[in-house]
Amino acid sequence: MSDAADIQASLEAVLKDEIVHMYQEVADNPRQEFHFYHGREAAERFGYAREWLDSAPEGAVASFAGVGNPHERSDLRPGETVLDLGSGAGLDAIIAARAVGPEGKVIGVDLNPSMCVKAQAHAAESGTPMECRKGRIEDIPVADSSVDVVISNGVINLSFRKRRVLQEMFRVLKPGGRLSITDIVSAKQLSQSIVNDPKLWAS
Amino acid sequence: MFALLEETGFTRVRSAVVPGFRFRKASTQNSAEAYGVKAVMMTALKPPTG
Repeated sequence: MSDAADIQASLEAVLKDEIVHMYQEVADNPRQEFHFYHGREAAERFGYAREWLDSAPEGAVASFAGVGNPHERSDLRPGETVLDLGSGAGLDAIIAARAVGPEGKVIGVDLNPSMCVKAQAHAAESGTPMECRKGRIEDIPVADSSVDVVISNGVINLSFRKRRVLQEMFRVLKPGGRLSITDIVSAKQLSQSIVNDPKLWAS
Repeated sequence: MFALLEETGFTRVRSAVVPGFRFRKASTQNSAEAYGVKAVMMTALKPPTG
């Protein structure tokens, strides 16, 4: 591996650790303040329906750390299979599961196995089971052409390999499948000092 | 991101700014504005024969 590739791989590993740590902190200490809005306050800011938030487990709502509302344009239908990339504590997966109903299926993927445990527990508590698989969005542990819809909320911006992530999303979608995602974008190239500081990526 | 979606093979790429997004901390929000950072929602389709 070249020096540049070694550095990239090293930064990526540190970034993944920072991401896991940051979102674990949100899940474990939802009353703490972070750089970003989170919890019910954030969800309401992004137009999540009150009935969704009132009926979802408190832990799933309190740990919400998205940047928008992917459900606004997801057009989920009963019986569909949905993949939630970066499923976290499970709020978006629970909302998706309600939309696709018992004939449908929701698969979450998260880097942090303990978040998968939380998400599945929250989903079970809400009466809308989901399956969560530990994995990276750059190597999605889902079969080719197996999902109808991919949703994600503030996750792709955390990857150094966005092209790879989109290729993976394309791979797992069935022909005719669709994605509905919300994410952070920047109009300007970030400075190298920002790119090289994983703490800034994960905050 | 939009160009990447199309390069990957997605079609009907649509996007819109998330109006309510901002960072909680003022210093972070100021830095974000300096780089034109915003949240967007995007939808796209995998072609039926793709």
